[in-house]
Amino acid sequence: MEQSLEKDFVEKLKMNQNLIHKICRLYTQDEDQHKDLFQEITIQLWKAYPKFRGESKFSTWAYRVALNTAITLYRKDKRSIQTSDVETANLFIKEEQYNYEEEEQIKLMYRAVQQLNDIEKALVFMYLEDKDYHEIAETLGISEVNARVKMNRIKGKLKKILNP
Amino acid sequence: MEGLDLLKKDWQKSTNSFTQIGENELSNMLKLRSSSIVKWIFIVSICELLLGIILGITLSLSKTHDESSELLQKWGIYEFYMACSIVFYLVVVWFIYRFYQNYRKISVVSSTKELITNIINTRRVVKRYIAFNLISFAVLFIVVCSFGFYHGYTTESVMHDGNGQMPLTVMITAIIILILITAVLTLIFWLIYKLIYGILLRRLNRSYEELKKMEL
Repeated sequence: MEQSLEKDFVEKLKMNQNLIHKICRLYTQDEDQHKDLFQEITIQLWKAYPKFRGESKFSTWAYRVALNTAITLYRKDKRSIQTSDVETANLFIKEEQYNYEEEEQIKLMYRAVQQLNDIEKALVFMYLEDKDYHEIAETLGISEVNARVKMNRIKGKLKKILNP
Repeated sequence: MEGLDLLKKDWQKSTNSFTQIGENELSNMLKLRSSSIVKWIFIVSICELLLGIILGITLSLSKTHDESSELLQKWGIYEFYMACSIVFYLVVVWFIYRFYQNYRKISVVSSTKELITNIINTRRVVKRYIAFNLISFAVLFIVVCSFGFYHGYTTESVMHDGNGQMPLTVMITAIIILILITAVLTLIFWLIYKLIYGILLRRLNRSYEELKKMEL
């Protein structure tokens, strides 16, 4: 029973691992932290899996657990965020995708997003993942209106970071 | 905003750009131990709850306890001390129950706000438990020492001049010194405590404040 559950879980996890990688990319500064958070998220998902009823899609369920782990459960490295570290965060992305003219602007955007706080990052993550405000609000436990207001504020904040 | 939309385009394109982890490695990860903050909070909290209980039991079982019971009886505050002890343990049991109740509510699948609130509430129970312990010990310390000092002073006084009275100035000075000593000791404990949890809960508190601010 346990073995088939594990097999089933690993299979689903493997298929959805990019989602976890993306969260790790947003919440960590280097490869070690990325691996560390990925592991913690995997453990938390596995612990919660027996209660997963399949009412929602695995990915929807997983990103909530993953996001919660990144924001609340993960013990981040004590050192402070340094802008130079942000560069290394992009190491996980294969080079070819930056071979566009917007490359520089995208890099600056990633750097700006890294400067946001944990909750703001969660909103940005869900925005980038094309989640609607209803889902964003439900995941964070706030009202839809507040999620919208906050998202607008974040856009303003990013603009300010980019054009001080 | 063009910036964020540009990022969105890049973000969705980068979906398949991460180094993929194989099934075997994922299976191995499931066997690893969690290092989540909740786990640490749980371990530390259990240690704190146990420390209070173990200290109490050790004190009541030790030989000095027999001697101190005699002293307390001599000073006429034994009943008061016993009543305090019973109330103390009842309150401790209540705290443990509340801790367990709150801890069970922590679920990684709830909304972020609910999860943080539940973690903070669980912590708050232990924080109150520690405050309760500190205050109880402080009060008991002041009461027992006051009676001890009063009894000692008046006995001495009877032997020396047969008066057996404690001048008001001596009494006030003694009480002030006692309160000061207790306050300093309690403050030291409290600061150490705040420091430990300040480090452990800093990020969590920041996120909690952020979510609260958003709902205003």
